[in-house]
Amino acid sequence: MLMKGRGLLSLSLKLAASLRMRHAEEGNTAPQTMDIQRSLELLHMTVYSQSVSPCGKYLAAGNNYGEIAIFSLSAALSSEAKEESKKPVVSFTAHDGPIYAMVSTDRQLLSAGNGEVKAWNWSEIVKKGCKEAWSRRPPYGSSLEVPEINSLQLNLKDNSLLMAGGDCSIHMMDLESGSFTHEFQGHSDYIHCLALREQLRECLSGSEDGTVRLWDLRTGNQVQSIEVHKYEECNRPQNGKWIRCLATDSDWMVCGGGPALTLWHLRSVTPTTIFPLPQCQQQVMFYQDLILSAGHSPTINHLQISGEVKAQIPCMLHCVHSLSINEQSPEHKVLTAAGSSHCIDVFTNFGYRAFSLVFT
Amino acid sequence: MSSDSGKKRKPKVIRTEGVAPEGKRSRAEAEHSQEGRPLSEEAEVELRDPSKDFALYQRTCQDLQRLMLEIQELKSRGGRDSAAEIEERRIQSCVHFMTLKKLNRLAHIRLKSGRDQTHEAKQKVDAYHLQLQNLLYEVMHLQKEITKCLEFKSKHEEIELVGLEAFYSEAPEEISRPEVTQEDPHQQTLARLDWELEQRKRLAEKYKEGLSQKETILKEIEVKKEYLSNLQPRLHSIMQASLPVQEYLSMPFDQVHKQHETARHLPPPLYVLFVQASAYGQACDKKLVVAIEGNVEEAKALCKPPEDSQDDESDSDAEEEQTTKRRRPTLGVQLDDKRKEMLKRHPLTVNVDLKCKDGSLLHLTFYFLMSLNVVTVKAKVTAAKVTAPISGGDLLSPDSLLSCLYPGDHGKRTPNPANQFQFDKVGIVSLSDYVAELGHPYLWAQKLGGLHFPKDQPQSSIAADNTLSASHMEQTMKLLKTRLESRLALHRQFASLEHGILPVSSECQHLFPAKIVSRLVKWVTITYEDYLELSYTKDVVEAGLAEDTHLYYMAFIERGTAKLQAAVALNPGYCAIPPVFSLGLNWNGERNNRNDDNIRAMEREVNVHQGELLGPRRGFQLLTNQLQRLCLLMDVYLETEAHDSSVEGPKEFPREKMCLRLARGPSRMKPFKYNHPQGFFSHR
Repeated sequence: MLMKGRGLLSLSLKLAASLRMRHAEEGNTAPQTMDIQRSLELLHMTVYSQSVSPCGKYLAAGNNYGEIAIFSLSAALSSEAKEESKKPVVSFTAHDGPIYAMVSTDRQLLSAGNGEVKAWNWSEIVKKGCKEAWSRRPPYGSSLEVPEINSLQLNLKDNSLLMAGGDCSIHMMDLESGSFTHEFQGHSDYIHCLALREQLRECLSGSEDGTVRLWDLRTGNQVQSIEVHKYEECNRPQNGKWIRCLATDSDWMVCGGGPALTLWHLRSVTPTTIFPLPQCQQQVMFYQDLILSAGHSPTINHLQISGEVKAQIPCMLHCVHSLSINEQSPEHKVLTAAGSSHCIDVFTNFGYRAFSLVFT
Repeated sequence: MSSDSGKKRKPKVIRTEGVAPEGKRSRAEAEHSQEGRPLSEEAEVELRDPSKDFALYQRTCQDLQRLMLEIQELKSRGGRDSAAEIEERRIQSCVHFMTLKKLNRLAHIRLKSGRDQTHEAKQKVDAYHLQLQNLLYEVMHLQKEITKCLEFKSKHEEIELVGLEAFYSEAPEEISRPEVTQEDPHQQTLARLDWELEQRKRLAEKYKEGLSQKETILKEIEVKKEYLSNLQPRLHSIMQASLPVQEYLSMPFDQVHKQHETARHLPPPLYVLFVQASAYGQACDKKLVVAIEGNVEEAKALCKPPEDSQDDESDSDAEEEQTTKRRRPTLGVQLDDKRKEMLKRHPLTVNVDLKCKDGSLLHLTFYFLMSLNVVTVKAKVTAAKVTAPISGGDLLSPDSLLSCLYPGDHGKRTPNPANQFQFDKVGIVSLSDYVAELGHPYLWAQKLGGLHFPKDQPQSSIAADNTLSASHMEQTMKLLKTRLESRLALHRQFASLEHGILPVSSECQHLFPAKIVSRLVKWVTITYEDYLELSYTKDVVEAGLAEDTHLYYMAFIERGTAKLQAAVALNPGYCAIPPVFSLGLNWNGERNNRNDDNIRAMEREVNVHQGELLGPRRGFQLLTNQLQRLCLLMDVYLETEAHDSSVEGPKEFPREKMCLRLARGPSRMKPFKYNHPQGFFSHR
């Protein structure tokens, strides 16, 4: 009898609470406008960068509003994955402007946007703490506008970080001390992308000025400069001369952008294969014996070295800005593609789109 | 012994006739041998060994036999001196007989004592047996008792006791006695029962207390009621007395009173609405005019038979029978009648006039549908400055003016879930067909009338709630006012938009540079279907930002050969909820958000960053500012587009804007952000 009395009391308390809740729902229109604002933001969201955590279980994605969202790949790929597990585990505002580049060291996530590199400890991010570990700004000259950082490249041999972007030069930062050791100058317009030739200790950079330049990492001298648009077979004047993406594999380099996507033999500096893709390509990478590329079309292109287009896998994005393969963990080995949408397409088997991770 | 003697006796019997002589002899012998104590033979028996006696008996018998044989021998010989010998022998035999007799007696005594002993023993056994029986019975009884005990059901088991943990934490030490009860479950139960008793006693006391409190409160209420009932006539007299004063001071109390008198005939929801609206008007908004219109007599007539509505069902059934008999062929007419009956409005209405600062008037008429139990609203706008009729005339139509005042509240469906069943009966598919005639049953109108319909089950009784109405009155009135003002502002803006003029107020001049070349050339309304068919609005529709309750427009902006189409989805809740633009640029091919990131960035500039375009006065200029920015963005887009070096001739659009950089970032974004005092363009 006593127990029953208590049960009734708690029931009535709950009822009162729910009534209060209902009142709160009724009387508020402010959240509605907030929702509209957020759905507008989602509608116009672009995801520029991705990075997989060292454990391979998490994917970080940075968008044009300066937010980093952490997705749990292990949850989204598990057999009992729900809609909820495709949403970010945690998301936080990391930069003022867009986040153009992200890389992961074995402990930290490095993100770069408007003129600043910030580091976040993976151990804390996953535990939903989001305090930056450190932030550094390359030595820029005086300018009205803060130059952006478009590309980050880890150089594990020297334990240094290469960054390049709006100020037309590449900065090398020692990860140990945090000091900027080298600056490679030479481009006449801003730099889109970086790639590393580890055997030769060389660095490649692709720029808006239409050149791909090779730099000696030890001396900081420019080794070579390839003006891609000067080659008749690559040039596409209607698209411009900018080089948006490049990838390298010892003696071979593939680069694209305004000019057609082209495979180059670096030692002889000759374009060997021109891939028949009419759209501008934004991302390219070597994968096994294939070349994966994506750009201003809603497809991921699988290309063969010989120049054949092996497959064009459709995806949800109208324009792809970032491709990433999770090499860190074999059971979560997936290809993720991000771009002009708040969705990130996930390809478990590289042959078709399995599902999308979504920003909220 | 006897059997032994029997065997030996047999030949003797044949020879010497009977036992008696032998017994005599043995007895004599015994008597003889024990001459000294003739009476103590019983004691003697004790001393003698029976086996020895038996041996003695045998020997005596043998001797007797031998003597007999000798006598026989002597007799047969018939000697002379044989008589003496025979005599001697006879004497010896006699002695032997004495002995035999003695032995016989002894045997008898022994037999007797043996019998006695047996008897005694038997009796003892019997006694023991009885005792055993008694004990067994006792055991059985005890066992029965034990099982009875074990099967005993105590009442305490049916009592729901306080949980163990709660017991130890709540009960005082002297009741719980943890040191004893922790170990011993029996003691524990006892302690818990004690605690239960204690608590129940306490609760019983509390109950009594509560009862007495209730009693006193009842009494108080009684007293107060009495006081109040006494007050009524006094107040009346005061009112009567004050009438001349009122007249003298020309104060409209009486008029108000009259209106209140009429208000008494209002149905409960309208009454609540009337009271709350006039209260709000008095407290917060002096320009708010609340009035009651309609036929009071009719309302009075409605009020008189109060049970009419309840008997409605059966009455109408009876009527139905009659009518079907009378005019069977016109079933449709009859259904029509029923529909009319169902959609009947209360003869009284409440009019609310909301005045804006610029003098325009929002005229709201609230109706009450009696059998549907919902409040409906008709709206009318009287604009202060009469504007030319334009294509955007939909803006002030009573149909859409108040749509979605609260999110999702478009007033097409009835908010009372019970109505659907009523509709099914008379064949009304949906209320929306009748909305134009009856007015819109907006949710906020129900709330102002104090009607609250739960989403799941139909409500049976009319319960108009004053507090519900009061809590929504202020916000709704403010929203109504804002809505009217923003609609009027849009109305004016549309008029100029149609003439290709983008009105930018002086407060917003800093948002734009002085020279913008792109021009708005056309502004038209389009339908929802047209909007859906556009190739570049798909994402907006998928994001759920374009519904059929929205208003849709198309803006055409041109500069040279470049033509920009902007599809605008205007939420009825404008300008609290911004409009959504979707762009399609027709210049050197079709460009939209699907194939050009910069077009997407332009959409972002107007849609996401609309906050900076709100301007002063609650953002009534949002739409025009957005359109103006769109023109600016188009200028930037066209001027910064890279010149195709393969095409001969000069650029169509020379670069006039001052830009820090032409492209930035991976998506080669154009500098869409205008920096006001310096006048240059940069990236966001």
